[in-house]
Amino acid sequence: MTSRGEVRLEGVGKSFGETRVLRDVDLDIRPGEFFSLLGPSGSGKTTTLRIIAGLETATEGYVHLDGTDATLLPPGDRDVAMVFQSYALYPHMSVEENIAFPLKMIKTPAAEIGPAVREAAARVRIEHLLARKPGQLSGGQQQRCALARAIVRKPALFLLDEPLSNLDAKLRVETRIELKRLQRSLDVTAVYVTHDQEEAMSLSDRMAIFMDGRIVQIGTPEEVFSRPASVQVAGFLGNPPMNLLDARLSGGTASVGGVSLPLPRYAALGEREVTIGIRASEVRLADRGMSATVTLCELLGEEMIIDLDVGGAMLRAKFPARARLAEGSDVHLDVDPDKLHVFDRATGMRLDP
Amino acid sequence: MSRRSGSALRGAILMAVSAALLLVWILPVLLSVLTSFKDEKEVLAYPPTVVFEATLKNYVAVLAGPSSIVPNLTSSLIIALATTILSIVIAVPAAYAIARLRLPGRQPLGFYVLATQLVPPIGLIIPYFLILNGIGWMDSYKGLVLIYITFSLPFAIWLMVSYFEDIPREMEEAALLDRASRWQAFWYVVLPQARGAIAVTVIFVFLNAWNEFLFAVILGGATVKPVTVAMYNYINTEQTQWAQLCAAALIAMLPVIVLGIVAQKHIVKGLTAGAVKGSGRR
Repeated sequence: MTSRGEVRLEGVGKSFGETRVLRDVDLDIRPGEFFSLLGPSGSGKTTTLRIIAGLETATEGYVHLDGTDATLLPPGDRDVAMVFQSYALYPHMSVEENIAFPLKMIKTPAAEIGPAVREAAARVRIEHLLARKPGQLSGGQQQRCALARAIVRKPALFLLDEPLSNLDAKLRVETRIELKRLQRSLDVTAVYVTHDQEEAMSLSDRMAIFMDGRIVQIGTPEEVFSRPASVQVAGFLGNPPMNLLDARLSGGTASVGGVSLPLPRYAALGEREVTIGIRASEVRLADRGMSATVTLCELLGEEMIIDLDVGGAMLRAKFPARARLAEGSDVHLDVDPDKLHVFDRATGMRLDP
Repeated sequence: MSRRSGSALRGAILMAVSAALLLVWILPVLLSVLTSFKDEKEVLAYPPTVVFEATLKNYVAVLAGPSSIVPNLTSSLIIALATTILSIVIAVPAAYAIARLRLPGRQPLGFYVLATQLVPPIGLIIPYFLILNGIGWMDSYKGLVLIYITFSLPFAIWLMVSYFEDIPREMEEAALLDRASRWQAFWYVVLPQARGAIAVTVIFVFLNAWNEFLFAVILGGATVKPVTVAMYNYINTEQTQWAQLCAAALIAMLPVIVLGIVAQKHIVKGLTAGAVKGSGRR
């Protein structure tokens, strides 16, 4: 396991003039980790990445790279490589010259550049394209060229800014797997910015969720998915997003519209207004229980997404396609109380029994 | 009408229009070519002759005669080259800085640059005359080049700023992360992509300096007499030597044509580089 590529952000904030785009960001990224910064657009994740890269300077707080203060260090002195969303390939240089560029800048002897370029190109399987110009490559090939340029110097830290967003859906999934394999085989720390939760979930060792310029939760994909820290996170993750229903908690029972859900474990919380979170996949069909009306069916191949009307509230559920529900039919639903998430209505924060 | 015959018709119309336009443009040049090979007496014949005995004596007179334009061509070349080189050397970094840096007063600067192009040159002759006279730079290369630069530099900057703005910032950021210095990022990444812009600017600046007459005739003199002014000598109170004038004009056109052909390759390259660049970004 590598010991290089540790990133620590301490109270980092960034303002552009009067606009504060980032505040109180604390992060600890361990060497060799695949760490994702996930959030909707404008949430500050790319700014955070650019601060780690040195392309932006934090207006507050400190950046430590491998234990040394790098807050004011210029990008070239940070031993980081970055893959941009647009790839930022140099259009006037061939693929070979593009990949060789970082080596030339650190004055690598000419005899070593050739083999290093070929090795990097081979790792991303573009060794047959070295003579081409970026303009003659497909989107996927350009992306590989950008990856090769980033890995050729063997940096301590590998920064990726939505590198897959310009690829079509099928290629995106394939490249995703390759990216993970590449990171593992290079044994390098990777910080990955994405707004695609599926990407973040499948790639990351850990991830940070950004909302409105701050981090709202840090954890493994499993932790974040199964125990969202707030209503915001709960509503952001999952496809379809988690159902969030306003309810009144009282004596271990939550009343949602006209329906009562037994929540005995939360009895100690007393009486209060809450938001109940139910994942679509946790809703099951039953012979009795909550009664609901099917309002819309969306077939997604093996599964279907069903919109249900439960006592006036809208609930989305994910059932196997064979359930064969017709719009307008009445059904009964069952939810395992242990699989429910309860959030305080006023603060939006998770409530635990 | 089928699509194919429609596009053929369109092609034919386009061709006809282009030919008509070309004719309008090329007619004076053709006329000059014909005239330059005529005897002075033949020139004034009416109706004009198309078939005549061609002679090279006008070219011989213009190049090797007592009032040869060769020294004037040299003068023009010195002025045009100096103006072009100085303009480019100053305009490239200036345009880059305006395009990239968050400079205070960027906006007014841009307007100022454009405003210099709006002033009618004739209005500046007297002030320029007084200034050059005052510092003793009348009839000198440095004086004329300085005056030309006051016009060509703002124009060159204005032309190149938009090119630099079109080069994505991310490309330089990538270079900085690849351990290039700011200067190396400019030199290896930005400048090669601005080649087309520089070629276009070179042509415009060189052309303007080469063709300039008004300032040269007033601010020049016996020492600095570019070819445009020298050609004026063929027109005097007694007669106009049309044939020699045409021969001189055609010779004076040559360097510009050569430059155009040389730079054209770069312009096209610059344009196509821009065209494919777009597919990989934005």
